[in-house]
Amino acid sequence: MANDDRSDVLVIGAGAAGAAVAWRLASAGIGVVCLEQGDWVKPHDYPHWQADWELHRHTDWSAEPNVRGLPQDYPVNDQASAISPLMYNAVGGSTIHWSAHFPRFRPSDFRVRSLDGVADDWPVDYATLEPYFDLNDRMMGVAGMTGDPAYPPKSARQTPPIPLDTLGVTIAGGFEKLGWHWWPSDSAILTRDYDGRRACVNCGPCDLGCPIGAKASTDITYWPKALASGARLITRARVREITVGPDGLADGAIYYDRDGRERAQKARAVVLAANGVGTPRLLLNSRSARFPEGLANRSGLVGRNLMFHPYAMVRGIFDRPLGGHRGPIGCSIISQEFYETDLSRGFVRGYSFQVARGLSPIASANGGSVGDRVPWGREHRRAYAERFDRTITVAIIGEDLPEAHNRIELDPALVDSNGIPAPRVSYTLSENSRRMLDHGIARAGEALQAAGARQVSFNPLLRAGGWHLMGTARMGTDPATSVVDGEGRCHDVPNLYVVDGSVMVTSAGVNPTSTIQAVALYVADQMIRRRS
Amino acid sequence: MSRERLLAKRSLLIAVLDTLIPTGEGFPESGALALDHVVAIADASAQDGALLSHALDAIDAAARRDGTRAFERLSVAEREDALRRVESSDLQAFDVLVRHAYDGFYSHPATTTRLGLEPGPVQPRGHRIEPAALPDLTRVAGRGPIYRQA
Repeated sequence: MANDDRSDVLVIGAGAAGAAVAWRLASAGIGVVCLEQGDWVKPHDYPHWQADWELHRHTDWSAEPNVRGLPQDYPVNDQASAISPLMYNAVGGSTIHWSAHFPRFRPSDFRVRSLDGVADDWPVDYATLEPYFDLNDRMMGVAGMTGDPAYPPKSARQTPPIPLDTLGVTIAGGFEKLGWHWWPSDSAILTRDYDGRRACVNCGPCDLGCPIGAKASTDITYWPKALASGARLITRARVREITVGPDGLADGAIYYDRDGRERAQKARAVVLAANGVGTPRLLLNSRSARFPEGLANRSGLVGRNLMFHPYAMVRGIFDRPLGGHRGPIGCSIISQEFYETDLSRGFVRGYSFQVARGLSPIASANGGSVGDRVPWGREHRRAYAERFDRTITVAIIGEDLPEAHNRIELDPALVDSNGIPAPRVSYTLSENSRRMLDHGIARAGEALQAAGARQVSFNPLLRAGGWHLMGTARMGTDPATSVVDGEGRCHDVPNLYVVDGSVMVTSAGVNPTSTIQAVALYVADQMIRRRS
Repeated sequence: MSRERLLAKRSLLIAVLDTLIPTGEGFPESGALALDHVVAIADASAQDGALLSHALDAIDAAARRDGTRAFERLSVAEREDALRRVESSDLQAFDVLVRHAYDGFYSHPATTTRLGLEPGPVQPRGHRIEPAALPDLTRVAGRGPIYRQA
């Protein structure tokens, strides 16, 4: 086995969190090596330059690794899960194909046990993380507007908000009629040139990546700066296990390089940033005599408390064109009218509405996220014409509460191309989440009808909606009930850190990337402080 | 193998596609537009190719159930009856057929042009959104904080 030079810090995973940590540490003069199982995505690799770009959404650019099946992907056994995990394996990780909706967690999201008597409080709070939210916003570049009453005052956004266009103005009218909260979304998509990056040209399919770099993905935001600061990034390097020295501390990792050769990377500290599925998979696969149940797993909680955001999708059909093919697919408006707990609704915690753009031609035919395909035959032409460019879809993004039985394990049979055990996902939707989504479906229908929709349909639970992978190596102060402490250090292995969605104690009712990255930057600063 | 089997049923496949997505209102014939995509799928995916071939076999059998006429020679109503029978009896194969028919038809530049979209790739041209004033958020902002202090 080949041995690479020992590094100060080994970061595993070059996505949203790994890139942020690598940049912060390297900027402080700390030696960083990052191992990433994917590769760089070149601007001309994206399908947007091809006339058949939309076909790629369900093949080589699918968000589902099991559908995509690229050499750098690993299989996921999700047969026992109501939701399929989505991810992308590349420099930039899942920020390559995310929609870049960029809300923060709210202050109450860090105090769920104290406020509502469920789940747990975080060992950090909004005020502590606020400077890291701001720093991360500057690094990623955020389009938006200050003044949203759903949040404490925020610093100035880097560029003006994503244009609402006809579609956004229409649904905003619905929220206005009902007297509900709505606000132009914070989006990590530039509407003006910023930091050497170009403004968005509103081409639409951000979920297939952004070939011009207007959408923030960490391969074009953090990584160039991290590399300029001295960080080293090794691509097509698939980590099999984290190794432990005789002192019980992590001392590196064993990985397979792009030619399939086994190599060892030694380091004084290891940071895991492989997402809420990949991180517990690696920890569970890093068994030893000292850690027979997997590394950092004396609590038995590695892989447990998996949280997705269960999504329900509600679609209204309108009588006029809405221009929904124009503009970033996942971003226009957020509504947090039903975000904070009101037990009279029949559930605890709450949800956001995320208003996306309209459906592209193929998605219109196949029903998009609602999944009701346009009928074939003589009815087809009329039914398609009624739908194309005349729909608004409102996503209900519900807060998922941690439950120990929702978990990631190692599959006893399924392996990746290097023979490493694949993750197996077990997840059932809770009764609280079901009631929450049902409430959201009804309210979204009201908003769409208030906006003028003449027909409303819905999908009660989006199966291919596991964008957000959280909770599987949770933060906490008690080693018996958490995997890492309030500074991201594993209780059992104090030089092993976790910084991705795995550490999240609760899931909130918004997209998590902004908060994941803020936590990662905070953890990096604690590492720097401790070192000095 | 699946590709050859599909091409051997080329006239049947074209007739099926034309029935699934009828021409009219300025839209081109789907048999011509979606054919290449559906055949290409058989090349790219052995699983989908086998299902497509199975669907065509089932449609052929359904068409001949009450006589000896080929699907291509049936009236539109008779074709739809045959397709509905296969949709009931061979749902998975039929579902794959419809999905790829829609994919091929609605990704074709002739179709997207008819839909009023600019044909071709979405980059580098993007889409123009007319500049507009920022929305009036006076009412929303006027409610004051709606988040809980923690």
